[in-house]
Amino acid sequence: MSRVLVAEDDPHILRLISLWLRRQGHEVLEARNGLIARDLAHTQLVDVLVTDVNMPGLDGLGLIEDLRGAGRVKRGVIVLTNRWDHGDIRERLAQWGVEVLPKPFSPSRLSELVEALAGTATGASPSGVQGPTP
Amino acid sequence: MEDKIAMAGDNPANTTPASRSRLRRCLWDGVLPEALGLCFVGIIFGGFSAAYLVADAAWQRRALEAQQGEAQRLAQGLATILGAFGDEQAAVPDEWASRLGQLPSLRSLRWTTSDSETRLAWPSAVAAVSGLTGADDRGPPVVAQVPVQTATGAPAGQLRLELAPPIADASRHALLWNWGIAAGVTLVVFMVVYRRLRRHLRPMAAIERSLHCYAQGLEQELVAMTLNDSLGAAARGWNRLIAQLTDLQQQVQSGQTAPAPGSVLERFEGALFRRVADRLPLGVLCVAENQRINYANAAGAALLGRGVEELVGRPAAEALPDDNVRQVLANVRAGIGAGHAVDHTRQDGEQEIALRFRVLPLTRSGGGGGETLVTIEDIAPLREGQKARDNFLYHVTHELRTPLTNIHAYVETLTKPDFDDEQTRKECYNVIVSETRRLSSLVENILSISQLEVGTARLDIGEVDLQRLLRQMVQDNLGAADGKRIDLTLALPPKVPKIRGDKQRLSVLINNLIGNAIKYTPEGGQVQVKLELTPHTLRIAVSDTGIGIAPPDQPHVFEKFYRAASDAVQSVTGTGLGLAIAREVARLHGGDIQLQSTLGKGSVFTIELPLSAVDAAEVPRS
Repeated sequence: MSRVLVAEDDPHILRLISLWLRRQGHEVLEARNGLIARDLAHTQLVDVLVTDVNMPGLDGLGLIEDLRGAGRVKRGVIVLTNRWDHGDIRERLAQWGVEVLPKPFSPSRLSELVEALAGTATGASPSGVQGPTP
Repeated sequence: MEDKIAMAGDNPANTTPASRSRLRRCLWDGVLPEALGLCFVGIIFGGFSAAYLVADAAWQRRALEAQQGEAQRLAQGLATILGAFGDEQAAVPDEWASRLGQLPSLRSLRWTTSDSETRLAWPSAVAAVSGLTGADDRGPPVVAQVPVQTATGAPAGQLRLELAPPIADASRHALLWNWGIAAGVTLVVFMVVYRRLRRHLRPMAAIERSLHCYAQGLEQELVAMTLNDSLGAAARGWNRLIAQLTDLQQQVQSGQTAPAPGSVLERFEGALFRRVADRLPLGVLCVAENQRINYANAAGAALLGRGVEELVGRPAAEALPDDNVRQVLANVRAGIGAGHAVDHTRQDGEQEIALRFRVLPLTRSGGGGGETLVTIEDIAPLREGQKARDNFLYHVTHELRTPLTNIHAYVETLTKPDFDDEQTRKECYNVIVSETRRLSSLVENILSISQLEVGTARLDIGEVDLQRLLRQMVQDNLGAADGKRIDLTLALPPKVPKIRGDKQRLSVLINNLIGNAIKYTPEGGQVQVKLELTPHTLRIAVSDTGIGIAPPDQPHVFEKFYRAASDAVQSVTGTGLGLAIAREVARLHGGDIQLQSTLGKGSVFTIELPLSAVDAAEVPRS
């Protein structure tokens, strides 16, 4: 069982992702925006972060940057993007080597990605999300 | 007259004998009135002279008749007096003589009795007393002869009286002489003045005749309309004009598209081009063979941020702002790549200047070298439009994607056996239904704004129960409000009149305002919908405790696609269409929307609809 933090401002999508991941047996932390997500991740280490890009308060990129620097995500990050998001966003995501899932997305595909990340061997550095170990 | 119109031998090939004879006729048509005018002056002059002579003769005759009558009356009187005196009066007494002497025209008086004895003869008897000479040079006398009778009625001879003619022949002749001399002098003066005037008028008259022929459609005979140069400066000027016109005519007839260098047409076209180009909004530069700019219009200079005087004479390479443009200019001069557009962007303070350059060869052969034309177009408005369109598409797709994502994900969930429980299925159905409604409302909005923009929007007028409509709108938005723990309330007066309006569009209008209020109000805030009746209007106020709108953004919020640049607004998805649609709908109902807002505290949108739109019968009596 892994701890998955889901940051998404649309309540329906947030609810649906939680529903799927819980059925898979993960512990899910729900955040309606980037600020709540950051606070949650700073309270408890998470294995996988699933985040939207456009969110009020702190957006997805800011959240990843923050948690990456603080090393609060152990396994990996999945970003839900819009195909029309600007080029520089896509470039930064590519640099960080995070998983990208464009909307509209398939929940089963998301489940597979979470499963793949959560199931990664402990200790290995997946997706380059984890920052320098303190 | 012939000397004025010199028929040139080298007529253009297209002139025909028919048109030449027509021209000749036409020119003579012009000469005729001039000649007639001159004759008329002569006739008037002769007429005056003849009239004078006739009048003189008639007057003379009348004077003669009057004199004859006078002589007859005088002789009759004298005869009566002489008859009464009889033989006693053998001689004329002094008194008589002096009386007769008062008749200056009396020439002679003779009383002859029946036996041929002369009883009275004047001038011999009277002359001494009266001082009359009895004779003058006036010509033949006027004679009156009457019989003399005594008091008893016996004949006593004849009385013959001679009076001088009324006007002396000599003085009449002198008068005629004077008249003749005056007339002669006047005629001479007239002729001299006419000759002098003609020297100036001749070329004018000839030009007028030529123009007359030109007006008659004889323009192909231009060459034949040239005048003799000896007629003076006006004629020479006219001939130059004809030559230039002929030149133009030949060029047009020969189908030459470009005028010969230095020709009239070139000068004419050059001036025309300059006038047109100076007023074009498109920037135009001409680069001469020596690579220097030889023409720049005002728009071109303004787009390059310089004055026209600064540009003309300057090497093109210095004036053009971009290496790419300079390269294209060099290429076009080498005969390649004409007409390609090169875009150049630069920052002028806060303003971005975007220009599109095109380079075209001006030489006809197109083989490189020669003059080149550079056009400069301001593409900033084009870019603005593109940006607005991209922005709109971005927001629309973003807005469409959210309900689509939900529908897609929830439908997939329904298909999975893992989620077969009743509660999950119900939840999935609910989300699919609400997201489908959201999608349909979004599409409706996009259609509405395009209809409103094109001006094809029509109202489907009917009776609208606002109380019910507002309740339904609030009900529909309760879900969204609850999701953000927003307190959404509705305040209605005790009785609300039904109004006439488009229910569908009014519900879109109210829904957009309530939806916006919820969207831009943080969690735990309040949104109130309030309906008020004023003497003349019906007000629906939607107030919230949301993020508010900054004063600089307030005038623009009703513009379509306008969204404030602040993070707080940008973080909320929206198309920038809702308020634009709301205002259009309010205006279509004869009303409007007002905004009051304080940044960070909240906003109040007030829809005001005129009561004239309200059915009078439905207004509650107070």
